[in-house]
Amino acid sequence: MITMKMNGVDIQVEEGTTLLEAARFMGFPIPTLCYNEALSPYGACRLCVVEIGEGERSRLVSSCTYPATEGLKVRTASKRVMRARKVILELLLASCPQSKVIQDLASKFEVRQQRFKQEYEDCILCGLCVRMCEEQMQAKAIGFRGRGENRSIGTPFDIKTDVCRLCGGCIYICPACQLRCTYTEPEKAICGGCANISAPCLEKEKFDDMMCYMDPCVACEIIKDKRG
Amino acid sequence: MNKLTSLEEFRVFRRRVLSEKDITYEKPTLVICAGTGGQASGANDLIRIMKRYILKNSLQEKVAIKITGCHGICELNPFILVQPGRHLYPNLKMEDVPKVIESAIGNYVEESLIYKDPFMKKHYHRLNDIPFIKRQTRTILGYNEHIDPIRIFTYFEQGGYAAAEKVFSDPRPEWIIGEVKKSGIRGRGGAGFPTGQKWELAASIKTDSGQKYIICNADEGDPGAYMDRSLLEGNPHAIIEGMLIAGIAIGATKGIVYVRSEYPLAIKHTLIAIRQARDIGLLGKNIMGTGIDFDIEVFRGAGAFVCGEESALIKSLMGMMGEPRQRPPYPIQKGVWGHPTCINNVETLANIHVIIDRGGEEFAKVGVPGNTGTKIFSLVGKIKNTGLVEVPLGTKIGEVVYNIGGGAIGDAKIKAVQTGGPSGGCIPASMFDMSIDYDSLAKAGSIMGSGGMIVMDDNTCIVDVARYFMAFLKDESCGKCFTCRKGTQRMYEILDDISKGKATLEDLDLLEELALVVKDTTMCGLGQSASNPVLSAIRYFREEFERHIVDKKCDAFVCKDLVGAPCQAACPVGTEAWRYVAHISRGEYEEAYMVIREANPFPSVCARVCHHPCEKHCKAGATGGDSIAIRSLKRFVTDRIDPSSYKPKHSIWADGEPPRVAIIGAGPAGLTTAHYLSLKGYKVTVFEAEKEPGGMLFCAIPSYRLPKEVIKKEINSLLDENITLKCNTTLGRDITLDQLFEEGYGAVLVALGAHKSKPLQLENEDIEGVIPSIKFLKACNLEGEQLARGRVGVIGGGNSAIDAARMALRQKDVKEVTILYRRTRKEMPAFEEEITAAEQEGIKIETLVSPARVISADGHIMALECLRNELGEVDSSGRRRPVPIKSSEFQVELDTLIVAIGEDSGVDAVAPARMSQIETTKWNTIKVDEATMLTNRPGVFACGDVVRGPNTVIDAIADGKKVAVMIDRYIRGKALKQQGTPILPQIYIEPADTASDDAGTAARVELQRAPAEWRKRNFAEVEVSLSVDEARAEARRCLRCDLEFTRHKKEAVEDILAGVKVP
Repeated sequence: MITMKMNGVDIQVEEGTTLLEAARFMGFPIPTLCYNEALSPYGACRLCVVEIGEGERSRLVSSCTYPATEGLKVRTASKRVMRARKVILELLLASCPQSKVIQDLASKFEVRQQRFKQEYEDCILCGLCVRMCEEQMQAKAIGFRGRGENRSIGTPFDIKTDVCRLCGGCIYICPACQLRCTYTEPEKAICGGCANISAPCLEKEKFDDMMCYMDPCVACEIIKDKRG
Repeated sequence: MNKLTSLEEFRVFRRRVLSEKDITYEKPTLVICAGTGGQASGANDLIRIMKRYILKNSLQEKVAIKITGCHGICELNPFILVQPGRHLYPNLKMEDVPKVIESAIGNYVEESLIYKDPFMKKHYHRLNDIPFIKRQTRTILGYNEHIDPIRIFTYFEQGGYAAAEKVFSDPRPEWIIGEVKKSGIRGRGGAGFPTGQKWELAASIKTDSGQKYIICNADEGDPGAYMDRSLLEGNPHAIIEGMLIAGIAIGATKGIVYVRSEYPLAIKHTLIAIRQARDIGLLGKNIMGTGIDFDIEVFRGAGAFVCGEESALIKSLMGMMGEPRQRPPYPIQKGVWGHPTCINNVETLANIHVIIDRGGEEFAKVGVPGNTGTKIFSLVGKIKNTGLVEVPLGTKIGEVVYNIGGGAIGDAKIKAVQTGGPSGGCIPASMFDMSIDYDSLAKAGSIMGSGGMIVMDDNTCIVDVARYFMAFLKDESCGKCFTCRKGTQRMYEILDDISKGKATLEDLDLLEELALVVKDTTMCGLGQSASNPVLSAIRYFREEFERHIVDKKCDAFVCKDLVGAPCQAACPVGTEAWRYVAHISRGEYEEAYMVIREANPFPSVCARVCHHPCEKHCKAGATGGDSIAIRSLKRFVTDRIDPSSYKPKHSIWADGEPPRVAIIGAGPAGLTTAHYLSLKGYKVTVFEAEKEPGGMLFCAIPSYRLPKEVIKKEINSLLDENITLKCNTTLGRDITLDQLFEEGYGAVLVALGAHKSKPLQLENEDIEGVIPSIKFLKACNLEGEQLARGRVGVIGGGNSAIDAARMALRQKDVKEVTILYRRTRKEMPAFEEEITAAEQEGIKIETLVSPARVISADGHIMALECLRNELGEVDSSGRRRPVPIKSSEFQVELDTLIVAIGEDSGVDAVAPARMSQIETTKWNTIKVDEATMLTNRPGVFACGDVVRGPNTVIDAIADGKKVAVMIDRYIRGKALKQQGTPILPQIYIEPADTASDDAGTAARVELQRAPAEWRKRNFAEVEVSLSVDEARAEARRCLRCDLEFTRHKKEAVEDILAGVKVP
C-alpha cells in the first residue's frame, strides 16, 4: 500500500493506482476527455492535470497516467490547475464547439467564451477511438498518422481496411461525435441543444459506410429538406 | 589491422604509436577541413588540386596532407592550415592552392593569403594568435584539428583510448562513476542533469534480463546548432570511447548511436569508426580477453525534432511513432524494449575520455562551481566571426559575442542573443554581463539547450523571431497532447497576427496566458519549453510587441505587412519615395513633385540636407547592390518645379472665430507645425528669436550645402494669411507662456531647437581663438563674420564639425584646416558624403586623437596638446572605447580651435522653459510624453531638437507634422492617443517600359559635385543636380517594392474593364 496526501488528506492506495483513480475513489472531481475506465490511459487531453510536489519544484502532471508514489503531495484543484483547465477548455471550444461533451465541461467550469479564432473540427485527437479499436474490439484498424497540425486518425494510407468490422465502437466513444450540439452558432450555445446544422460525418466520404449511431440525429432529414 | 587480443598488447600498441607519432609535424602538413561546412564551401576541389599538384611535382616526400573534420572556424572555409607553425590561410580560391603548398614546403608565410583581421588590418601568422581562437578553451574541439576521422591511428596519435585502457585495466564501476561525479559534468544536451548521478542510478538498477542500453543522442534538432555534428564527423572515436566507458560503468553491453538522417557525413564517419574499432578489437564480445562485451550500432532518425526527447527517441528506436510518454517510469528504469536505458548527449560523451584520462578533479578546475568544464557553442547570426566556439562555463556572454565573435557586422547594434534554440529564450544586450551557465540562463528565462547562440541586431525583429520559432515548434510538435499541439498553433496564430498588424493588446495578454498554460500542462520538454521564446521576448522586448500592435510599425523593417515599401516606412514623414521615383521613371515630374510636397513642406531643403534614412533601408541596397539615390532624385524634381505650383486645400474653421496657436521657434519643426495648423484653419503666430526664420537651417547649415535663397523661397511658400511671423522675439525676454495664454492662445508649441555647443571642459577653453562651433557657424551665416584664422583645428566628428571645417576653409584668412577625432574614421557620426567632400577639399582628418590641454600665449591660443588613442574593449554602446596611450602627447600648432563635439539646447535656452514651470531633463531638453508631445503644463507642447537633443532636419519636420495633429485634437477636445494603422502603398503606378531602351547598369548614379579646387574658395552650392538621362536611368533601377501591395488594384481595374466581376 502506498501512503500519500491528496488535497491535504492522507490516503492509502494500492501500488499501480493512478492519481486519477485515487481521486475518483476519494470523490475529488477531476474532468477528463480522453480517459475511459475500460481503456488504457493516454494523457492526450491534459484536462485531468493535477499539481504535485511543493514550492519551486511543483509541477502539473496528467493524473490519468501518473502512478501513485509514496509520500507524494497532490492538489487536484489548486489555482494553477484551475487556470490551466479554463484555458484548455477555451482551446477545446475554439476547435470543436459543437461537441456537447465539451460544452458541458466548459459550462461546468464557467468558461462562457473563447478568445481564439473559431475553428470547426470534428476530431480532437484524444485517441479514444484508436484505443477502443485496439484494446476492446481487438481490430486495430485505425491509428494516428502525421505530426502536429497534420496529425489525423484513419486507416493506414487511407486504404479501405479489411480488419474494420464496422462495429461503430469508435463513433460510440468519440466525445466530439457524442451528443453533437446542434445550435446554429455552437460556440455561443454552451449547452443549448436545438436545431440541427448538418452531420459532418455524412459530408465526408471516408465515413460513408459507417453506421450512424447518433440518437437522436435528425441531420439526414434536415439535409434532405435543405437539398429540396 | 591486426586485432588486439590482450590488454598487454593494447598497452604496448598504444605506447608504440605515441612514440612514433609525428608530434612536431616534422614534415610540413596541409590540414584541410572536410566537414560538412568545409565540403559545402569547396574543400573537395581544394583537396583535388592539392593532390594533383603534389603528384605532378613529385612533392610527396616534402609535404603531407591531412583531411580533418570541422574545426569550428566555419566563416573561413575553405581554408588550409599549415603545420607546423599553424599558419591559417582562409577563404582560399582554387588558384591560391599552389602558393600555399610552396609556402609550406619553403617554410615561409605567404603574406598575401595569410589570415587578416579585417578590422585591425593585422596579419596573424599563427592560429593561436587570432582573437577568435585565442580566447577560446578548445579542450574538446581542439582534437578535430589533428584527427582524420576515418583513420583510427590519428586518434591514437592524439592519446586516444588512453582512458579506455585505464578502464579496462580496472573495470570497477565505482571509481569510474566516482571520477565522473567528481568532475561535476552536467548533460550537454540541454537539461544539464549531472551525468555522474545519471550513471550511478543506471548502474544501481537491477533487472532480470541483465540487459542495459547506453544511447548516444545525436538527433541535434535545434536549427543553427551543429556542435554534435562536428564532433561526430570530426572525432567519432571520442564518442565511441565515451560510450565504451559508459557501458562498462553502468553495465550496458549494447550501445546505440541515434543520429538524425540529415547528417549523412556524421553517419558515414561513425560507421567507419565503429568498424575500425571492431577490427582492432576494441568493440565486440570478450574485448581483448577481458570478458567485457560491448558493441555499438547506429540508428538513423526519420526527420523529427521531437525525437531528440528521450522517451520519443526510445519509441522511435523501437520502430514506433516518436511520441513522448509521461515519466515516471524514467528511461533508466524502463527504456528500450523495457530495459534500463541511459541516454547521453554526444558532447557529454566526448568529454568522458578527458575526465577519465585527466581525472575528475582536474576537469572540475575549469568552469564555475556547479557548472564545470567547457561547452561548445555554435555562434551564428549577425556577428563578424561565426562558427563553433568552446569556452569554459561561466564565461560572460559579452566576452563570447564581442571579443570572440568580433561584434556586430555593419552599423547596426547588437540587440540580443538567443540561446538554446527554439526551446530557449533571448537575452538582451543589456544583460551581456551574465555568465553562461545552466542556472543563470534558466533564471533569465532561457536555457542552455544544445548550445546554439544566435546573435541578433537592430535589423532583426523580435516578433518575427518569436514567430519563426513558434512556426518551427508548431511543425515539430508530435501532436499527442492537446495543449502542445493546439497551444503552439494558437500561439503562432497570434504572433502572425501581431506581425501583420491585426492584433490587439488583449491578444498580447492572451498570448502570455496561453504560453504559461502550455508550459505548465504539456507532457514533454518540447511543449514545456515551447513558450520560452515567446515569454522571454515579451519579458525583455515588450515595447517592440506593443509597437507592432498599437502603432502598427516594425522598427526593424522586417514584418512586410507593417512596413510596406521600406523607403516610405523609413521616412519619418512617410514620403512615398517609391511613388515619386516611379513618376520620375515615367517622365512625370509634376506628379512627382506633388507626391513629395504632400508629405513634406520643405522638399528643396531636404533634397539637399536630408540624411535619407530611405536610402539606408532601400531594398536595392539591402541585398548587396546599390540603393537608389533617392535624395538626388528629389533634388532633380525640386530644381525643376516651382513650390508655388502646389496649392494645398485650406479648411475653414467651422463655427466662429478660428482658435489661435502660438509657436515659439521658426525652425523646421515650428514652421511645419504652423503650416499644417494653417491648413486646418487655425490662426498661427510664430515667434522667432533671431532676425531670420529657418532655425538651424539658416544659422548653422552652411550655404554651400543649403543656399539661403532656397530656404527663403521655401519658407515664403509656406507663410500664408493664417500665419504671422514675429522675428527678434525671445521667450522669457519679450514674451512669456503665461502672457500667451492670457492673450487667448489655445495652445503653445515650444520648438526652440538645440543651439548651444557642448564645451570640451578643458583648461583655458574660454581664451581667444577657441570658438564653440555653433557660435562660429552663426557668426558666419547670420552676420557674415569670419572668425577663423590661419591654421584651424576642429574637434569632433559629427556634421557640425564637418560644417565648421568646410566653412572655415572657405574663410579668407585661413591657411589649412585639420579635423581631430577621438575614434576612427569609420565611426565618425557625420554623413559619409560630407566627410568625403571635406577630404576632397583638402581638409586633413586625424583620427584616434584626443585633446588634452590648450596652450596659450597672451590670452590667445597657440597650440593644442593632444594624446593618441588606441581602441580598447567594447563598451556598452557596442563600440570599442578609445583609450589614451600613455606618454603619447604631441602638440598641434593652431591659430583657431573650433569645438564641435555636440550640441544641446543649453541651460540658458531652456531656462525660460523652466521658469514657466516646464519640466526639463538633465540633458537640457524638455520632457514630453512621447506619444502626445505634451509637456507637464497643460496646453503646452514641445517638439524638435529641444526635446530630442540635436537631431536631423527630417525628424524635426516629422515632429512638426505629428504635433500639429496633437494640437488639433487637443483644441477640439478629442483623445490625443489613437491607434495607428499600417501605412501600405495604395496607389498603383504602371512600371515604366524598360524593355525598349538599354536598361543600363545596376550601378548607382554618381553624385555630382563642383570641382574641389574651385569650390573650396567660395560659398557657392557644391552639389550639382542630375541630368534628365541620369535621373530617369536611376529611377528605373528602383525595384518597385510597392507593386506587391498595389498590383491587385491594377488587376481589379483590368477585370472591371474586361467585364469580370470583382469581389
